[in-house]
Amino acid sequence: MHPFLITDNWYDLRDLGNLSGRLLELLDDALPFGLVYVLAALIGFAASFLIFVLPSQLIVGVYGERKLIGRIQSRYGPNRVGPFGLLQPVADAIKLMQKEALTPKTADRALMYLAPIVFVAPCVLLFAVIPFGPNMVFADIPVAILYFLAVSSIPVLTTFMAGWSHNNKYSLFGAMRVVAMTISYELPLVLGMLGVVLFTGTLALQGTVLWQKELDIWLVFLQPIAFAIFFISASAELNRTPTDIAEAESEIVAGYLTEYSGMKWGLFYGMDIGYAIAAAAFGVTVFLGGWTLFGLEKWVPPWIIFIGKTHLFYFLFIWTRGTLPRLRIDQLMTFAWKFMLPIALLNLALVATERMFWIEQEADDSIVYAFAIINIIAAAAAVYGWSRALGYRPEETPLRPRLVSEAGGFVPLESGGEGAT
Amino acid sequence: MTRQWTGPEVAAIAERLVPGSVDRSTPVACYLRPEKLVEAMGALQAAGETDFVHLTNLCGVDFWDHFEVVYHVQSFVQNAIACIKADVLDRERPALPSVCPVWRGAWMQECETYDLFGIRFEGHPNLHRILLWDGYPGWPLRKDFLSMPGGLQPGLDEFSGTKRRLPPPVKVVE
Amino acid sequence: MSGLIKSEPFTLNIGPQHPSTHGVFRIKVKVDGERIVDAEMVMGYLHRAMEKLAEERTYTQNIPFTDRTDYLASMSNNLGYVLAVEKLAGINVPERGNAIRVIMAELQRIASHCMAVGAFTNDTGAWQTPVMWCFRERERVLDLFEMTSGARLTCNYMRIGGVAFDLPKEFEPATRRLLADLPGFIDEIEGLLVGNEIFLARTRGVGALSAETATNFSLSGPMLRGSGIAWDIRKADPYCGYEKYDFQIPIGYQGDAFDRFIVRLEEMRQSVKIVQQALDALPGGPHSTQVPLALRPPAGEAYARVEGPRGELGYYVVSDEGPSPYRFHIRPPSFINLSALKEMTVGGTVADAIVVLGSIDIVVGEIDR
Repeated sequence: MHPFLITDNWYDLRDLGNLSGRLLELLDDALPFGLVYVLAALIGFAASFLIFVLPSQLIVGVYGERKLIGRIQSRYGPNRVGPFGLLQPVADAIKLMQKEALTPKTADRALMYLAPIVFVAPCVLLFAVIPFGPNMVFADIPVAILYFLAVSSIPVLTTFMAGWSHNNKYSLFGAMRVVAMTISYELPLVLGMLGVVLFTGTLALQGTVLWQKELDIWLVFLQPIAFAIFFISASAELNRTPTDIAEAESEIVAGYLTEYSGMKWGLFYGMDIGYAIAAAAFGVTVFLGGWTLFGLEKWVPPWIIFIGKTHLFYFLFIWTRGTLPRLRIDQLMTFAWKFMLPIALLNLALVATERMFWIEQEADDSIVYAFAIINIIAAAAAVYGWSRALGYRPEETPLRPRLVSEAGGFVPLESGGEGAT
Repeated sequence: MTRQWTGPEVAAIAERLVPGSVDRSTPVACYLRPEKLVEAMGALQAAGETDFVHLTNLCGVDFWDHFEVVYHVQSFVQNAIACIKADVLDRERPALPSVCPVWRGAWMQECETYDLFGIRFEGHPNLHRILLWDGYPGWPLRKDFLSMPGGLQPGLDEFSGTKRRLPPPVKVVE
Repeated sequence: MSGLIKSEPFTLNIGPQHPSTHGVFRIKVKVDGERIVDAEMVMGYLHRAMEKLAEERTYTQNIPFTDRTDYLASMSNNLGYVLAVEKLAGINVPERGNAIRVIMAELQRIASHCMAVGAFTNDTGAWQTPVMWCFRERERVLDLFEMTSGARLTCNYMRIGGVAFDLPKEFEPATRRLLADLPGFIDEIEGLLVGNEIFLARTRGVGALSAETATNFSLSGPMLRGSGIAWDIRKADPYCGYEKYDFQIPIGYQGDAFDRFIVRLEEMRQSVKIVQQALDALPGGPHSTQVPLALRPPAGEAYARVEGPRGELGYYVVSDEGPSPYRFHIRPPSFINLSALKEMTVGGTVADAIVVLGSIDIVVGEIDR
């Protein structure tokens, strides 16, 4: 065996699953039956919290996002608390815990208290199926993709609870928007993921990663449409900026968060980042090869590769947040139903044909490279053609005003004026 | 340069378009009679020679015994501006027809003039106190508004309709 | 659909404390779902009775009041007022004073449009990035004001008969450095937003006003020009020697929020051109004429207007030969531009109403005075 291949020995810390597996084996012998499953959960939770959740949440989610957006906006971002402002998230957390969490008189108190708590639980559950390395997956269930999509739609209910319980019109607006939007965006998301599943033939996340490793191709090249749909739908469900209509601060103040303060708000804020990181981890696993990096995972611990990729993916969310304006709700709905859904269906048909061809002709595995080229061209053609069909005419849109030299009355459109572009 | 219509020039045209509409004219402004104001304004707006499509400014002036409402109107095509005025002689119940049928944009400036001078614009779609609150005593831009009527002091407690609940009297413990 | 599901409109108070009302301004909208069926403005939270106060103070003492009306364009407000008093009293301003006034008014237009463009894009949801970029450039303009007049926001710089102080010697190089950078900045903002499909979707066709409606509603400034009417007081009724400078009037196509936005961007470019020309041809001589401290203009009235950043900024001053104006009236452009708000918002969604309000570019200090 190659010396750098990851082994199953407990001292091979390139995969932390080895150590914990060995530990649990020993404990299983010593302890009564069943107790080890509880311990496994606790160890998994502690380990993932230490190496992933805490650094991601605090350093990347709060500090990194604020710092990066600061740089995008040509300002410094946090730089006062601690070295380079690194302790800013901690200071924020302490401040939030000290703050009084106000409850309006007319609010539904039970729901209002329950919503942030219910919001937290699914986020923790989501990470259970994410493979961090060859053995580092807590529950490698065969329907992991389905599980992820199902659990990730629970927070919608929570946000509606939050918005409804305040008895505030702005919150109600946000809650209604969130429900309407999420229902619309689940559909293209699931259809897009179906294309991926058709190719890989498995619903397990570890299986998806191994499939990509075996064929040496990332699914983002095979499924560009599905990747784009996943990214857009994820940012819609996460209320990230081009689609953050549920908490659009310039329109409905803070949407369903309007009346929250203190740690109740802090839980929403922290878990928003948690969900975003979970979505990034899912996207990395399905589309970007998970913990593999074209052979580099033999030398570098796979979990470091995975975390790095996740954070880079999360950077995409930050980037769109810092640059793009927000869409209106009807435009978002139109986009989901009239644009993404047909494109997703088209993608599904294409994938089905290709998969059929692959199996019927018993073609070599290297045919996926041909499929990748075909799919990228088809994706570009479909997106361009469908948007033209829906009335996208950039060349007919004047982007500069007309210029006239003399004051006077109305200048009709035909007469143009100088410098019209 | 924008051409400035003198009062007599506007008066001649207004008198021709709507006979009996002009009261008098000074070099600066043309004074229209209130009863024919809207008709004359509409005629001046529609007529090609004046073409007063844009009501620039509308405000009131208090001259102790009467009010004047000043309209500055202009034409874009001819690049000309004119000053038209109307007298409001009744100081107790000042009123003037509203020019909203002619220039719809006049409604906010008329509301403001009503708010600060108390001149009622008849035919106005939604005349209300736009800057001050309903129930404010008096009309502040009138020259005789030197202090609050009835010796009231500013502050919400003193105005009718906006009574605030007073805090309970402090009990002095002997 | 609407026949099947019974819905009932409810009232939503946008403001007076709302992130997008740009001050204490309130719109009571009646919404049916997301659609607005009725809109009513409530204002006056910042009313300071400036027109009454001005009747008690001398002509010179009133100049600081005009700063406080439109606090984002204090130089333009100063200018409008002193022009009205000069017209009333027949005072001539020396060449250099006029050139300095033009430079200041145009720099103020750049600063004010920076704010307008930034706040407008923030309303469309571009999360603060354009605002910060705009503030970065506005800051440099305000630095120039501080260098010249000692104040950044409420400059109180214009005087009857000229300006308060001559330009300091550092002013010209600093201004030239700024002017060299500004076109690049405007291109940057344009590159970020104008071709952006989301921004276009949010602003095109929103709050559209035809030329006739815009005229009938007494609108002025970028709102009027956005509707395709070539009207700019600087061209139509030149003051302070604007006829000497070469610039153009940008006009829009259909009078929607997007047209107002691009008109503002182009006006910033034109202002850069004007300041450049004014600096190149800055005449020598005194910056102000001697005017008696207690000015008593002859009895009469004067209406003078300037093209402020938000539109036609007029001052109507009546004199009775006293030391203070008999009547002092401001024609506030953003107050009058608001009169068409209901026309623009009803039928749209709540998000559209916010975009429309941002495109009007209101300053509450000016609305309430």
